[in-house]
Amino acid sequence: MKALIVYCHPSEGSFNHAVLETVKTELNAVGAEHRTIDLYGENFQPVLTLEDWTEYEDTNCNTARITGHVDLLTWCDSLIFVYPTWWFGLPAILKGWLDRVLVPGVAFSMPTKECPRISHNFLHIKNLAVFTTCGASFWFTKFVGSPGKRMLMRGLRSCLNRRARMIFAAHYQMDSSTPETRAKHLTRVSQKMRRLTGKRTLPPGRPAFADGVSDTINDTMGEPA
Amino acid sequence: MGEALNGEPAGTEINRTGKRALLIFAHPVPESFSAALHDATREALGKGGWHVDDCDLNAEGFDPILSTQERRGYHDLETNTQPVKCYVDRLRAANALVFVYPVWNFGYPAILKGFFDRVFLPGVSFKLVNGKVAPNLNHIKKMAVVTTYGGTRLSATLAGDPPRAHMTRSVRYITRGAPMEYLALYDMNRASDQKRASFLHTVTQTMERF
Repeated sequence: MKALIVYCHPSEGSFNHAVLETVKTELNAVGAEHRTIDLYGENFQPVLTLEDWTEYEDTNCNTARITGHVDLLTWCDSLIFVYPTWWFGLPAILKGWLDRVLVPGVAFSMPTKECPRISHNFLHIKNLAVFTTCGASFWFTKFVGSPGKRMLMRGLRSCLNRRARMIFAAHYQMDSSTPETRAKHLTRVSQKMRRLTGKRTLPPGRPAFADGVSDTINDTMGEPA
Repeated sequence: MGEALNGEPAGTEINRTGKRALLIFAHPVPESFSAALHDATREALGKGGWHVDDCDLNAEGFDPILSTQERRGYHDLETNTQPVKCYVDRLRAANALVFVYPVWNFGYPAILKGFFDRVFLPGVSFKLVNGKVAPNLNHIKKMAVVTTYGGTRLSATLAGDPPRAHMTRSVRYITRGAPMEYLALYDMNRASDQKRASFLHTVTQTMERF
């Protein structure tokens, strides 16, 4: 397993940092390779500029300013996000990472005359895990339509391998959290990570990944988390 | 971090009388279709008698990143507006909010998402009452969204249409359900000139009546 963790929080001692450490511990426990992109740590510039936009569809040069991140996306087979939910969505720095890194030729190919639909390029990514914290309650987040969760679990997912495994865990009502609820959430994160890294048996007759990439993790269809 | 905000406009004093619209635009390219929608919206609002405060986030160099210090002081109502004071003043002076932006990756451009993160603060757009969020943009009486999606309406709906959900539910909630026009052109990647012209016409007409 080769996991790319995209982490985003402005404060070092945050609860999200504890979630990140839990994720890394679980990956280390199974000997999985992992790399972390710390967006605040590396001062990532999230605004898609005029220059980025001009080169957006030119697959020869649209990755010139984000080469390192594109290489990591090509290298990994699992994508893990750890971030706080702000205004029901991703923090701007993380949204900007999606805007700037998921460009044509990397995440997808634009429609052409021969192929009138967008085609997706992240077929080597077979696991997607999202760990977040929300200030709002579970039901209010549901009422708003969970925009952040859906952006990743449905929007980004459409670029991944069709049978990618999906994991999601959120700690709601963070502002009224207690040491007990936070500890409980970290336990949940561990459990979810074990499901992601653990070996699973396929139902009889179900083929392994269609793209033929061998993997020790034989996933079933993404199950709701 | 992020304290140096430029683009301080004239007339940021709080004036809630009359028709004052804050027009928030997010697209980096002046010759884009979004920019055409922005121009059409601004002119149509002017024709309708609105005083428009035009806030072009890219042109003003808005920094969308909520910094460590801002996160620490987020709930301090005395000081939390300081780093973005001019934007808070402009928001407070308006009685209508109009957004013009493209949808990228099923969401707002990062610069607009950062506007929510940094400017829609406790004490500005909402307040916490017994730990629960209560609306605070009571002075906003009307809203409009003009946007474009690369994908089809079906693909956006299957993904839960996050920006529509956020605008029509979360943002409307903090304005106590102010009426909102949501004008969207889907399938921009394949839209013909005629389709774009027709959408531009719809936007002009709707915003003149706004």
